[in-house]
Amino acid sequence: MEEKITKIQNEYWHKITKANSLKELDEIFLKLFGKNGAVDKLSKDFPNFSANERHLIGPLFNSTKKNLETAIQKRREAVREASYKKLESEKFTFPLDKWEAKKRTGHLHLATQFKEEIIKLFEKLGFSQFDAPHIELDKYNFEYLNIPKDHPSRDLWDTLYIDTTGLTIAPGQMLLRTHTSNFWPRLMEKGHTPIRAMSFDRCFRYEATDARHSHTFNQFEIAVVGQNITMANLKYLSDYLLKGILGKEAKSRFRPKYYPFVEPGVGIDCLCVFCHGKGCKICSGTGWFEIAGAGMIHPNVFKFTGLDPNKYTGLAWGFGPDRMLMLKHGIEDIRFFLEGNLKFLEKY
Amino acid sequence: MKVSLSWLKELVDIKLSAKKLADQLSLISIGVKEFTDDFLELDLTYNRGDLLSLRGVAREVTAITNSKLLFSTDTSSQGEKLPGTPVKIADVNLSAVQCVAKITGLRVAKSPEAWVKKLADCGMRTVNNIADVTNLIMLEYGQPLHAFDQTRVKDETINVRYANPGETLVTLDGKLRKLESSDIVLADTEKALDVAGIMGGQDTEIKNSTTTILLSASLFNPNLVRKTAQRLALHSEASKRFQHGLTKTSLLQALTAAIKMYEGLGGKLTALALTGDFEDNPKILALSQHKLNSLIGIDIPANQVESSLQSLGFTLASHLSSGGLKWKVTVPYWRLDINIEEDLIEEVARMYGYEKIPAQPLEGAVPEKLDESLQNLIYDLKTALKNAGLTEVQTYSFYSSNIIENLKLEIKNLVKIANPLSSETQYLRQSIWPNLLEVVERNLKHGFSDIAVFEIGKAYYVEKDLPKEEYRLSIVLCNGTDNPLSELYQVVQNVWKILKDVMVTKVDPKNLAANLCHPNRYFELERNGKQIGGLSEIHLKILNKLGIEKRVAIMEVEFS
Repeated sequence: MEEKITKIQNEYWHKITKANSLKELDEIFLKLFGKNGAVDKLSKDFPNFSANERHLIGPLFNSTKKNLETAIQKRREAVREASYKKLESEKFTFPLDKWEAKKRTGHLHLATQFKEEIIKLFEKLGFSQFDAPHIELDKYNFEYLNIPKDHPSRDLWDTLYIDTTGLTIAPGQMLLRTHTSNFWPRLMEKGHTPIRAMSFDRCFRYEATDARHSHTFNQFEIAVVGQNITMANLKYLSDYLLKGILGKEAKSRFRPKYYPFVEPGVGIDCLCVFCHGKGCKICSGTGWFEIAGAGMIHPNVFKFTGLDPNKYTGLAWGFGPDRMLMLKHGIEDIRFFLEGNLKFLEKY
Repeated sequence: MKVSLSWLKELVDIKLSAKKLADQLSLISIGVKEFTDDFLELDLTYNRGDLLSLRGVAREVTAITNSKLLFSTDTSSQGEKLPGTPVKIADVNLSAVQCVAKITGLRVAKSPEAWVKKLADCGMRTVNNIADVTNLIMLEYGQPLHAFDQTRVKDETINVRYANPGETLVTLDGKLRKLESSDIVLADTEKALDVAGIMGGQDTEIKNSTTTILLSASLFNPNLVRKTAQRLALHSEASKRFQHGLTKTSLLQALTAAIKMYEGLGGKLTALALTGDFEDNPKILALSQHKLNSLIGIDIPANQVESSLQSLGFTLASHLSSGGLKWKVTVPYWRLDINIEEDLIEEVARMYGYEKIPAQPLEGAVPEKLDESLQNLIYDLKTALKNAGLTEVQTYSFYSSNIIENLKLEIKNLVKIANPLSSETQYLRQSIWPNLLEVVERNLKHGFSDIAVFEIGKAYYVEKDLPKEEYRLSIVLCNGTDNPLSELYQVVQNVWKILKDVMVTKVDPKNLAANLCHPNRYFELERNGKQIGGLSEIHLKILNKLGIEKRVAIMEVEFS
């Protein structure tokens, strides 16, 4: 047995030192430690030995195994180092003038395609895009939206805050915006009315990730400010969006819902496009599924942004496009959107 | 909030099935999470604190189903001729009032079956008859109460004060709680007895030997209760109710009802302290018909406005003014959420029926277009790259710990999250390409051998001690060759057609920092004299560390 072990050690030691590529080393590794590899086979003889023999051979076996592993590891590093060294002699060769790039089929991310679709839809009604920062001041994300500091309604948003150590800003004053709604106070305070604006952009929450939840997600939101904006307009825009993206038979339904920055506030249900309102698994048997939050902009938001709530009214409407895409395409896991898996991305 | 249906039927005369009632509630009042034949579970919103009580739900149900209320209110105080107990409120900001009722002659026993079912249907467990009274009252009136074993309370004193620095209390769940000076406590002359609004102390809890209790009722400051509950991660049925806000009127009703229940158990009220001002000031709001109709977008008849609000407990007085019909509306004491005219308009609109609001297109002049040049540029770049055969990816706005470790990134330059979920959300990305290397690694593992992807998104950095963000475009190419930069150099010509005036300069390898790039394959990208990015093959050493054995070239530019 001892001879066998020594023989393997010598034979492979030699092979390892001679190997000049990672591929060769991988092969050697498999021949040694793979299923039915030389080392693997040796260990299969063990049960046939007496306790005494095992006591003698065990340490030798283990040290040989370890030596070979280390040798492979070291040789790998050496081969790698040599390849790094070789880079220094490699030059950049400019492509030839008539050089042709490889033919590939490109894809836009599903969220980009959806964004374009919605943006185009609302451009027809005179909406413009207006995007607000991701790293946001507390006042635009919360205070101007009628969500005062320390108010229990803040519990509705689990927030990721910026560490302000070393920054010229007080702790707790800067955060990753929890919704796209920060765009409306930023736009409203400019004072240019009327407003028809929209944003499709990234938001963040302090939320553990699973198939249905992510700390990073998209929102699409519209805000309208003018002199005679009504809930009837809100109803029209809700139907307009749903029909635009889900088809003519889609329709909306309002339910009372509380958001501090709107009054009245409504939750918007969409007639279930799968069962047409009869009730199915996707809509939990109700015939409708909740899709968006909306309402008439709260007078305090006007006050905080310097507009006269007696003169203006406004509406806002926001929803999570990721969820909608998941429904529409039967996507089971929200994480697919941000993982960059080509198998997923090339489907669309 | 779980609402026992049989209990609700004691309070309001309804014949509707659970399903019908759930439908009505969710369309007119509040979402319903779940319903069975025994209970409805409401999806409680912050504003409707009144629906955290059976009586509140009964009032709402009366209005939306046009049915009769089966209860009346009783605040008659039986304790007028009784002595008080020592009570002090250290600061009126802690609790506007503090009440203590001393009840003697009790005997601890199991609760009757009917009580147990009521509690169970509302999602609570029975403890014993004395403790159950406080929970039943809380469920019916929304007002949490706490019963202390009188023998454990020094001098029969129940004061409201801030916790002292370093003060501790073992709560009912057996845990030692370290209190802070912003916490409210109920305390006797020596020690804290109860983390106010959240959980009572173990020492003073009702035991089998208890015969005399001190029943305490308070109106703790919602914000302070919330802060303490958050810090202790201890959210109880009581803390929920304090956070939503309570009224003095319901507190008195609840206390009166509790005393009656204890009397029903053979107890006797022997002392009663009522400290503070017990008037709920009625809110009177103006409502104009013009404003109402112009916000909703339809004309709702005046009599319908009135009947809707009246059914919800509002009282109205109308008058005609120059601006049309107006009302002075008195808000019922239990509706703490109604504070402005728009709140009233919401009440009218939902009672009128949201389904009756017609769809009306936006009218008036279309506003001037806002400057969308950046959004257009982004879309043009995306389309050009897609047409050039690249696939768009979107990755997280954070650097993974894998990236930070293997690229040896200087974390002090990164925007840091104060309360990350984990090390994977601790630092915001300063560039996009590291995340794209991870995308390459993942796809190589999945068997792809030709990877050409790009991302346009935000990157974050610190400048002049402030966090900043900018748009960047990043492309990675892993085409199986030993010189992917050669092809990438060609691909990026599509970008230069859109991002004009970019100068591509080959850089001396000696100037390269951090050994991230191939020593001879690195170009700097400049625009108007400012470095805006780079074009390079990533050093094999870095790729190997990330588990990539192939050559990878990247391009990244900032363009906002």
